[in-house]
Amino acid sequence: MRILVIDDESLNRFLLIHMLEEAGYTDCFEAETGREALQLAKKIKPDLILLDVIMPDTDGYEIAPLLKKMAGDIYLPIIFITAMDDQVALARCLEVGGDDFTSKPFDKIILTAKIRAHARTRLLSKRAYVQNKELNYFRNGVEREHAIVEHIFANALNINKSVAHFFDYRLAPASNFNGDLFLVEPSPSGGMYFLMGDFTGHGLASAIGALPVAKAFQAMAEKGLSVAEMASTINHTLLSLLPGDMFFAAVLTEISSSGRQFSVWNGGMPDLTVISKEGEVTKRFCSQHMALGILEPHEFEENVEHHDANFGDRMIGYSDGVIELTNIEEEMLGEEAVMHWLSEDPSIPVEDISHKVEKFRGKAQQLDDITFVSYTCQSLDELKPEYSVTQLPFEIVVEMDVEKLKSFDPTFELVVMVCSQLGMQSVRSDLSTVLSELFNNSLDHGILRLDSTVKRTTDGFFEYFEQRVERLAVLEQGHISIKVQFEPTTHTLTVTVSDSGDGFDYEHIAVSNDNEAFGRGLPLIRELCSDLTYYEGGTVAKATFHLNI
Amino acid sequence: MSLETQLSTDEKILTIHMEEKFDFGKVQDFRDAYLNVPDSVDTIVVDLANTEYMDSSALGMLLNMQKTMADRIGQFRIVHSRPQVAKILKISRFDKKFDMS
Repeated sequence: MRILVIDDESLNRFLLIHMLEEAGYTDCFEAETGREALQLAKKIKPDLILLDVIMPDTDGYEIAPLLKKMAGDIYLPIIFITAMDDQVALARCLEVGGDDFTSKPFDKIILTAKIRAHARTRLLSKRAYVQNKELNYFRNGVEREHAIVEHIFANALNINKSVAHFFDYRLAPASNFNGDLFLVEPSPSGGMYFLMGDFTGHGLASAIGALPVAKAFQAMAEKGLSVAEMASTINHTLLSLLPGDMFFAAVLTEISSSGRQFSVWNGGMPDLTVISKEGEVTKRFCSQHMALGILEPHEFEENVEHHDANFGDRMIGYSDGVIELTNIEEEMLGEEAVMHWLSEDPSIPVEDISHKVEKFRGKAQQLDDITFVSYTCQSLDELKPEYSVTQLPFEIVVEMDVEKLKSFDPTFELVVMVCSQLGMQSVRSDLSTVLSELFNNSLDHGILRLDSTVKRTTDGFFEYFEQRVERLAVLEQGHISIKVQFEPTTHTLTVTVSDSGDGFDYEHIAVSNDNEAFGRGLPLIRELCSDLTYYEGGTVAKATFHLNI
Repeated sequence: MSLETQLSTDEKILTIHMEEKFDFGKVQDFRDAYLNVPDSVDTIVVDLANTEYMDSSALGMLLNMQKTMADRIGQFRIVHSRPQVAKILKISRFDKKFDMS
């Protein structure tokens, strides 16, 4: 306990310090003037001040507030020493920041009791100060972590801007982090997908599951998967990820490139409703499934509902935070209220609906996240994938001699090579199939002279492939050449496959019925490309593709 | 490399997951996948989620499976076909012979 005694009279100082030392307070300092006291206090940081009221240079009334200010947030007790007994003067001691006073002549017992009492308060204040500091430090840490997580969420859950403008939507989380999720992505076929979902609970704990869902949804949308498959995959992901008491109610919708056909998988969300321009309900996609993250893969149901709407029809969806919202009288908003607003004004913007929802809630606290999504059927022509195609005429020629025929199948690499050219990606899968058919025809029939009719019986089917392996192994001569040509002016891609075999009677090729396990190749090629022609007795096949721009 | 297969917990449904390419190179693997199914199995599901392209020999293999197993298996389903693969199945009128979803 460090005590600073401030008095202009040395006798008083001597008496006080002597008394304090007797009482066990040996860490005492003294100052003669106010100025000296301030300097000393700055240096020694006293725990308690005994301050004389009347001094020649600056009196106690002036010094007290300065000392208090210097002490900052920690309580520094100031006890005035005074010979005065006038009430006004004594009251003033406390008004200027003093905490107590003691009168001359000094009473040892009273003074030491007062010092002990003020020391206790100072100790409490010191503890509170330290705890406050720790609390602040902790709070800053949490805030910083939240800021980082919010940043990650904002980026991961970014709504795809290229298609977001087709939707009128609003998300109102109950806390910093949203357990509701709304995502939209374009589909490769020129339509769109959207996902609206609601994790159990709200806040950070429920929002955390949104990250893997968003990433999976975006990746699957890019590949053009069906909503059933998306639901199944997300279910599987969440099942292995989420704790048992947490799940994800969600509705997955694909809007076709026409802009008015819907495929919907709804698991545990409120009805997704389609209303006509006149406000009449024309379709309700009710929840047909359990929420995601509950069922094992073999229990999972993929049923999807389809609906053809008209241009101008409106699809409305919302999370249960909307209908379960309660006002101060503890009345629930309910689905009917929302439907009533929509029937009154079928084109009411989501913002206006939100105002109505807010008005209903009034002063009551928002307990759950609220999401509102609306899509009005319209042309999605602007989403049509644009293909710009290379201006470069090119030709790739592959010569396969016996050794190469024995060691690998050239079709895959050739397709990769062709499709790495600008704009060729659109023909990738058709080209893969056609090239594989033509090459295998040349190899199987032209070079290896295999007979497809062997495949007629189920055993023969495998025998055929065994023969193929055997004959290829002992092959001594033969070659196949493949030429892929692109003509940019007409957007024509031609594939020419020629072999060193004897050819075949391509004009009288047998047409197999639907049940035969062979003879499907040629009809398939004819469907996939715009033209297929044989030359030179069937040893040269030429398939033509016209790229659709 | 063998194909990934999955038996439902009630042992009634066998799912065969095909890979990126479904062509004659898979003849043996595909046959192995369905030939030794337990007697309890009554449905075979061919999952084409990962299949980017197939050719006519794949069609033959599917039909051959149906022929071989017809007396034991009640239902054959093809699921998760991507648009380009679905097109080939449709051209070949497989939608009439298999349950496609």
